[in-house]
Amino acid sequence: MNDTLEIKREAQLRETARRLLEDGTVGYIIGWGTTRFEDKTAPLFAAKPEEADRLVWNEYCINSLAKYSLDDKYPEKKIGICVRGCDSRAVNRLVNDKQIERENLFLIGMPCSGKENSVCEGCSHKNPVVYDILIGEPVEENTEEKASAERFREIEEFEKMSPDERYEFWAKQYDKCIRCYACRNICPACSCKECYADQYMVGWQGKQNNRAESQVYGLTRAYHVGDRCIECGECERVCPMGLPIMRQTKKMLKDINDLFGNYECGVESERAPVLGEYDLTDRDEFM
Amino acid sequence: MQLDKSDLQEALRILSAEAGVFVPSVVEGVSRFALWDGESSIDLSRVNTELPPKDILFPQTEKMYSYKMGKNIEIKEIIDNPKQVVFGIRPCDVKSIGCMDKVFLEKTYVDSFYAGKRENLTVISVGCTQTDRTCFCDSMGLSPSDAPGADVMMNDTGDTFVVEAYTDKGKQVMEAWKPLLKKGGKKPAAPECTLKVKMSPEISVKLSKMFEHPIWEEVSRPCIGCATCTYVCPTCYCFDMNSDNHSSEGTKFRCWDSCMFSDYSRMAGGHNPRPGKKERVRNRYMHKLSYFNERYETSLCAGCGRCADKCPAHMDITAFIDRVAEEEMENA
Repeated sequence: MNDTLEIKREAQLRETARRLLEDGTVGYIIGWGTTRFEDKTAPLFAAKPEEADRLVWNEYCINSLAKYSLDDKYPEKKIGICVRGCDSRAVNRLVNDKQIERENLFLIGMPCSGKENSVCEGCSHKNPVVYDILIGEPVEENTEEKASAERFREIEEFEKMSPDERYEFWAKQYDKCIRCYACRNICPACSCKECYADQYMVGWQGKQNNRAESQVYGLTRAYHVGDRCIECGECERVCPMGLPIMRQTKKMLKDINDLFGNYECGVESERAPVLGEYDLTDRDEFM
Repeated sequence: MQLDKSDLQEALRILSAEAGVFVPSVVEGVSRFALWDGESSIDLSRVNTELPPKDILFPQTEKMYSYKMGKNIEIKEIIDNPKQVVFGIRPCDVKSIGCMDKVFLEKTYVDSFYAGKRENLTVISVGCTQTDRTCFCDSMGLSPSDAPGADVMMNDTGDTFVVEAYTDKGKQVMEAWKPLLKKGGKKPAAPECTLKVKMSPEISVKLSKMFEHPIWEEVSRPCIGCATCTYVCPTCYCFDMNSDNHSSEGTKFRCWDSCMFSDYSRMAGGHNPRPGKKERVRNRYMHKLSYFNERYETSLCAGCGRCADKCPAHMDITAFIDRVAEEEMENA
């Protein structure tokens, strides 16, 4: 990370934020602010021009922000959101899923050269794919070779295991799951008004914590997110028990890429999820 | 009295002849209290385990009774109260057991499931030699090296543990350890938490007048509504009851529940008196720092720092307390 460049970007962000709040373009801005720990930032909601200086931009700006717009679906003024590449894909995700209106958002693009977060390694979109204003100059993207080599590296390793070994692996992982639902709640692809797991009167999901129920939850979540995963890695970051959750959706994405050609989610604002559209030329030999 | 560290395994072996012994351990990468099998390593290197020890007394899922339907209805109570020892529990977690005791055993109703397990549990605390950056137990009126609620208190002096019995159960442990214990030993000075929080009884009173304060709207905004804070909390004790039915038979169980979930406060008709994150975060903080104090004259937060460490949105109860301390109030 080029420090001077990023310090400059932070100053530009504050200046832009202040202006947007002053001239009433936005009602408030969602960005990152400090906590009492130097290596942690927390989502910050700045509503007054003088609060713009509380916004920070550093290697610890990790939390994804786009989903907070769901808390305010009918805003009086536009909601300003700081978007890195991953956040911008989350915005596309939510817009495509008809969860939010694009015109209700004002996207402050933050070119991002990676954070203190392992998921950033091999990131394929360091610059926001959609924005209304860009803060500073775009950063250099990873080469396609690096990004694609990194993207499914872990999955390729994982596929070498036998089905029984993989079952054993996940069974042990789900023995640890405490079903806090942090992975669901942080995920920009999980936007159901009421999650199947909360429909306790219907009883899809038993509330008891055991291997079987936790596996049912894990599988259902993974398949439900499926082809809509934007690969931000937030599910894995927030898991208090350290489950490598992203491997599930990544495995599906890898299969989708093998079957349907190059596919990345949330990059285009209008593309239907590949499993959600049907084309006569689709491969179907697996049926 | 003192116990050589080299005799620790033997000391635990003595206890495990009579009871299941839980020790701080790393299981599949997660630091938690796990049943000691005589060989597994005992991890006292961490200040606190990632998961609290509360599930020893209050399992995440606890079967209560089973039933069979048909001509003759059969109902069987499930009682599972083995003799257990928890070793290596820190003073904050001991205080947390004290909080759960109040809830499950004091005032009006005695919870027989908890009571049975509690009666058969011996608590051996090991004081902290260092503190984590999220530790603030000494701001909550505790000491990192002393747990008044423990049966046995141990403190690390380097090569040995200084051992003291605080209760009759503790004396029985000392008796069983007699061949291993040596006279003497000086209790080391307590480490100090680096994180100081402005908690005081006044905060609880102040909060009780802040139900409609605009602070809740603001502090709750980053919350994503998951149960991480409540499930890693050593004192959160809320549960739900449900059935696991298979054809004409089944089990009634209770399991942890979280006030951060939307369905926690949803009523039968669909109305939810805590419809959003503002109401839910307010409830949690109020419960920890004010409601519990009103009912039991102690706070429901022991200062272990797990919630601040694990919150996906990096919310921090210590920052909240300091914020309340600084809040200027009319008529406060």
